Amino acid sequence: MEKILILLHAVDKAALEVLSLASGDFDVALIGEGPNTIGSCGAKRFFVVDGPEFATSRYSTDTAAAEALVKAAGATIVLAPCTPRWHRALPGVAERLNGAIDTHVSSFAEGSVSRWFYRQRMEGTLKRTQRPWFILVDSGAAAPWSGAPAEVAIEKVAVPSVETRTEVTGIERPPQDQQTIRPDAKLLFVAGAGWTKKQKDGQVHIEDAAKLITGFVAKAPCSLGSSKSLVDLSGEGQAVLPFLTHMHQVGQTGSTPRHPKGLSTCCHGEEPHAVGWRFIAERRAINLDAGCGWARGKADVLYVADAFEVMRELNALQSAK
Amino acid sequence: MNFDCDIACVGFGPAMGGFLTTLAKGLDGLGSHAMPGMPPQVLCYERADDLSFGVSGVVTRGRAIRASLPDFAPSNVPMAAPVTGERVAYLLDPHGASHRPWPMRAADQILKIAATDHALELPWIPGFLHKQHGFVASLGQFNQWVAGELMMTGLIQLWPATPVEAPIIEDHRVAGVKLLGGPEVRAALTVIGDGPVGPVGRALDDHFGLPNSHARDEWAVGMKLVIDLPETCKLEPGTVLHTIGYPEPEIFGFFYVHPDRVASAGIFVPSWFRSPLATAYRYLQHFLLHPYIWKHVEGGRMRSWGAKSLNENGRRGEPHLTGNGYARIGEGSGSTNVLTGSGVDEAWLTGTLLAEAVLELLRAGKPFTKENLDATYVERRRESWLERELHVAERARDGFTHGVLTGFFGMGLAGFTGGRLAIPRRPLKAATPTEKNFDRWPDIPYDGQLLVTHQDALLMGGKVQAPSSAEDHVRFKDRAVCESCKSHRCVTMCSGQALHAGDDGLPRFDREKCVHCGACLWNCEPANIIFAAGHGGLHSAEN
Amino acid sequence: MEYQVVVCGGIAPDPLQTLEPITTPTGPGLKNEMMLPAVFDPWAAHALWESNQIVKANPGSKLWVVSLGPKAKLQQVMMTVAQKLPFEFIPLDGPGNGFTDSAETAKALAAAIEAIPGLDKSRLIVCGGWESATRGAGVTMQRIAERLGIREVFIGVDEVTVDNGALIIKERIEGGAHQVSRCAAPPAVLAWATGSTPEPPNHPQTGMANMRVMMPALQKAKPTPVGTGCEYVAVSLPKQQRETKIVKDKPAAEIARELAAWIQE
Repeated sequence: MEKILILLHAVDKAALEVLSLASGDFDVALIGEGPNTIGSCGAKRFFVVDGPEFATSRYSTDTAAAEALVKAAGATIVLAPCTPRWHRALPGVAERLNGAIDTHVSSFAEGSVSRWFYRQRMEGTLKRTQRPWFILVDSGAAAPWSGAPAEVAIEKVAVPSVETRTEVTGIERPPQDQQTIRPDAKLLFVAGAGWTKKQKDGQVHIEDAAKLITGFVAKAPCSLGSSKSLVDLSGEGQAVLPFLTHMHQVGQTGSTPRHPKGLSTCCHGEEPHAVGWRFIAERRAINLDAGCGWARGKADVLYVADAFEVMRELNALQSAK
Repeated sequence: MNFDCDIACVGFGPAMGGFLTTLAKGLDGLGSHAMPGMPPQVLCYERADDLSFGVSGVVTRGRAIRASLPDFAPSNVPMAAPVTGERVAYLLDPHGASHRPWPMRAADQILKIAATDHALELPWIPGFLHKQHGFVASLGQFNQWVAGELMMTGLIQLWPATPVEAPIIEDHRVAGVKLLGGPEVRAALTVIGDGPVGPVGRALDDHFGLPNSHARDEWAVGMKLVIDLPETCKLEPGTVLHTIGYPEPEIFGFFYVHPDRVASAGIFVPSWFRSPLATAYRYLQHFLLHPYIWKHVEGGRMRSWGAKSLNENGRRGEPHLTGNGYARIGEGSGSTNVLTGSGVDEAWLTGTLLAEAVLELLRAGKPFTKENLDATYVERRRESWLERELHVAERARDGFTHGVLTGFFGMGLAGFTGGRLAIPRRPLKAATPTEKNFDRWPDIPYDGQLLVTHQDALLMGGKVQAPSSAEDHVRFKDRAVCESCKSHRCVTMCSGQALHAGDDGLPRFDREKCVHCGACLWNCEPANIIFAAGHGGLHSAEN
Repeated sequence: MEYQVVVCGGIAPDPLQTLEPITTPTGPGLKNEMMLPAVFDPWAAHALWESNQIVKANPGSKLWVVSLGPKAKLQQVMMTVAQKLPFEFIPLDGPGNGFTDSAETAKALAAAIEAIPGLDKSRLIVCGGWESATRGAGVTMQRIAERLGIREVFIGVDEVTVDNGALIIKERIEGGAHQVSRCAAPPAVLAWATGSTPEPPNHPQTGMANMRVMMPALQKAKPTPVGTGCEYVAVSLPKQQRETKIVKDKPAAEIARELAAWIQE
C-alpha cells in the first residue's frame, strides 16, 4: 500500500494543481503556515515545519525540513510542485533517503509518470519500484484544487538543527519594462535574428527594430523571448538588441514557456529553437522566407511578410485602442 | 601565440587518413625536432566542425585501404557493407523534358521496347567500372572511424573546427600554416590534403603555378541524399547502381545500398554541362523520381543531404606535388579517377605513399626539400597503380567536349583500350542559351519527408549551421564585374542557395547556408569570387 | 583563495540532428546513437566557461572536467572543447543518453571526484549544468552534493563573485528574478543556467597542451556501466506536424489587423 504525501512549501497555484492529483488516502506536509486554506482537501494528516530558519529558500534548511516531513509521514510516494525551491532541494532528499526522483513531470496516473526528454523532443512514460519516489509536477499538468478552507489538526515536525554557511541576502528583479517570460502572459512574442540582418534596402535597422519590439511588448502584456542566435550576437559585444539576454532565450538552453499563443518574428524556426515552443498552443510566425521552419508544420499560420512593416501596423493598432 | 610542430596537416579526409594511419605506425623511436624529448608532434587541422562531416558516395574497391588495414572489414564502420551486386543502367526520359541530342532520342524510341521502368540495364559491368570485392560506405562515418583509431594511438592530434587560412610561404619554401583567426603553426613539413577547392592548395597553385600545360578547369558538383528506404524495399545491402542518361544525358547518377535499409543516392553535374539551368538539387529530385529509382525510394525519408565539388582534370590537373617543406595528397593533388568514378581509395593511397616517404626521410635524418620529397614521395607515386590507372583515365572524358554521345563513346574507348585510344579534346563551346526555368519538367510532388524544398534539405538533411559571428568567406572581388555578368552562374549552381539574387539582381551571400562546396569558385567565368576558409557548413555525420 | 573547481558534464547530440527513440536490450536509446555527432552538454558548457572565469580570477586555482559518456564520443567532443581552455579531463566510459539513471550517474561522478589526488573540500566548488539537454531532470548535481557531503547547493546559477572569501551567488527563480545568497566558504555545488560568459574561441596551442594529457586519460577511461533505474513503458515522438497555412501577398496592414484580432481572442 503506497503512502502518498503532498509536499508543499507554499499554498499557491502550483501547489493546488498538485493537490488535485491526490486521491485515496494521502497526507499533506507543508513548510510554513497555511494548511487551513486547504483544510477540506481530504488529507488524513497535516504535517508542518515552521520557524523563521525554514522560511527562506535554501538547500541546507529545505532539505532538512523536507527530509523530516517525509520521514514523519512515512511516505512512499511524494508529490510536489516542480518549483525552483523544490527542484533545488528534493533531489538531495531523494539521495539521502535512497529514493528515486522524477522532475518536470507532465502527468501522473496509475503508478507511472510521463516527462519530456531531449529538450521536449520526445516523451517517456516510466514506472519505478524504488521508494520513496519523489514526483515533481510541472505547472499546467492538472487543474488547481479548489475548496473551502477548514480548520485542521496539524502535527508539527521537529527538524534537527542545521549548520549552514549560506545566507539569502535578497531578490533581484528585472525592471518592469524588461520583463522576460511572464508566467501569466497569454502571448509569447519571439524576436529572432532576422531583425538585425540587412533589410531590402541593404541596410541594417537596429534602432527601428528595437523600437518596434519594445513598443509591442509595452502595449501587449506578453512574454518577450528570443532565439539563441540573436542572444549570442548580443553576447559577442555586437550592438544589436541589448535588452535581449540569455534570460529571453527560448529553446536550446533557454526556456520552454507555457502560453496559449505565440508569435514569432524574423526567426527561422529551426528545431532547436522550436522545441522551446512545445507548450505554446497556437502559433503564428512572420518571416520573409516562405521556406523557413515555421512553414514546415511548426506554426499554424506563416505570414510571408516584412516584420518591420507588420509590427509597425500592429503597434499602431494597439496604440489606437 | 605562434608555435611549432613537426608536421602540420591541412584537411582530414581519406588522403589524410591514409597518411596519418601509415605515419602513426612508424613514429615509434623517432624524436621531435620542434619539442625535443617528445615524440614527433603531428597536428592535423580540419575546417569542418567535426571530422565526420565529409561528403562522398562511396563505393570503392578499397585496395589501398585494405593494404594499410589488413584486418579492415566493412562491419567495423557504421553504414559500410560489402558490394553484393552491381548494375549500370541507361535511363530513358519518361517526360521528354531532357535535352537529348536527336540521335539519342531516336535510339530511345527503339530502346524503350526493351526497357523496364524506363531503364535498360547493361548486361555486364565494364571492367573499368567494376567494384569487385569492394564496399559501399558513408565517407563521414569512415573518416570518423579512422579518426577514432588515430586518436587512440596517442600519436596524432586531430583538430576539427579549425580552418587553415593560408600557407606560410617564405623564400619559396612552405614554413607552416596560418590558422583562421589564430596563430601561425610552423613545421618542417606541411602536408596539404584540403580537397579540390581548399584554400591552402589553391594558394600554393597561385604562388607556385601549375606544371606546364596542366589546368584545373574540369569540375563537377556531386550532390547526394541519404535515404531511409521504405519497408517495402527489398534491395540487399551492398547493391550498387550506376546510371547515365537522366535527368540529363550529362548527369551521372548513383544509388548505393547500406545496411539497415538505408541508401545513398546522388548525381554529378559536370562543368561541361553548359545549360544555364544547372541546379543540382532540382535535378537530384528528378533523378529520385525516375521510375528506375523511385520504385525503391517511394515512401522513404531523407536522413541526410550534402554536396561537394570534384575536380575532374585527373593527371592533367596535377599540381606541383612537392616543394621545399610541403607535399600535396588527395583529390587536390589530382588523384581522382573520372573513368572509374573513384577517388576515396586513390586519395588514401597518395597519403600512404607520402607517409612511407616521410618515414624514410625522418629515419635518414634528411630534410624535407623538394628534391628529397620528389625522390621518395613522387617516385613512389609514379610507380603505383594509381599512376597507371590515371594514365588510362587521362583522356577518357575528352569526348564530352564534342557532345554527350561522343563522350560516352570516348569513355568506353579509353576504358576498353587501357587509355591507348581516346577522342581528342576540343575547346568547349559557349553555352547555348536555353530556357532558364524548369517549365518543361513536371512539378516536384513535395511530401515533406523525402521530396522537400532545397532549404528543408539543408536543415533536415544537411543540418547546415554556421556561427553567428565570423566574416563572409565567399566574397566578390569587384561588384562591377557582377553587374556586367549575364549569367550569374554562381547563383544557379550554389549547392545551398547561399548565393542568391539580391533585390538589385546581383548575387548576395548568406553564410549560414553555405556548405563550402566551392561550386561558385569554378562557375564564375571572370574569376570574380574569393572563396576563403571559413567555419560551419554541413553537420551531418552520415554523408 | 586557490579554488579546486570541478565541472561535471556529459554529451548531447549536436543541435539539428534528427532524434528518434528506439528500444534496446538495456532500455530506450536513440536511433543511430553512436553515429550522431555529439557536443558537450550546452548547460554544462556554460558551467565550464563560467568555471574558467573563476579559475582565471583566482590565481592558483585549478580546473577539472569529469565526464561520463561513450569513450569515442567523449574523444570527439574534447577535440573541440579542449581547444578553448586548459583543464584536466577525467573521462568515464559509459552510456551517455538521456535514459540513464541519475542516481547511478551521480554515484560514478562523485566517486571520480573523491578520487582526485590532493582533493581539498575546503577549496572545492563543483559545477555543472542545472539540467542536461538529454535527461533534462536537473537532479544529478544535488545527488553528487549529497555523496560528497556538501550541503551548500545552488541551482540555476547565473553569476558568482568572490567577496572577501565568500561566494555571492545569484540563482534564477520565478518571474525572471534572481535570488542572491552569500555562501561564507566552499565547498559548494553550483548548477549553472546560462551565466553570461560567451563561448571562448579556439586556441590551437591550448588544444595541443590539453590533448597531450587527455589522450592517455581517454585511453585509460574506466568502464562505467549505468542502467536506467526504472521501467520505461514507452518513449515516443510527439504527434506530427501542424498544417501550416502559408499566407503570401497580403498587405502588412491587413496582416496586422488579423494578428490583433487573434491576440484578442
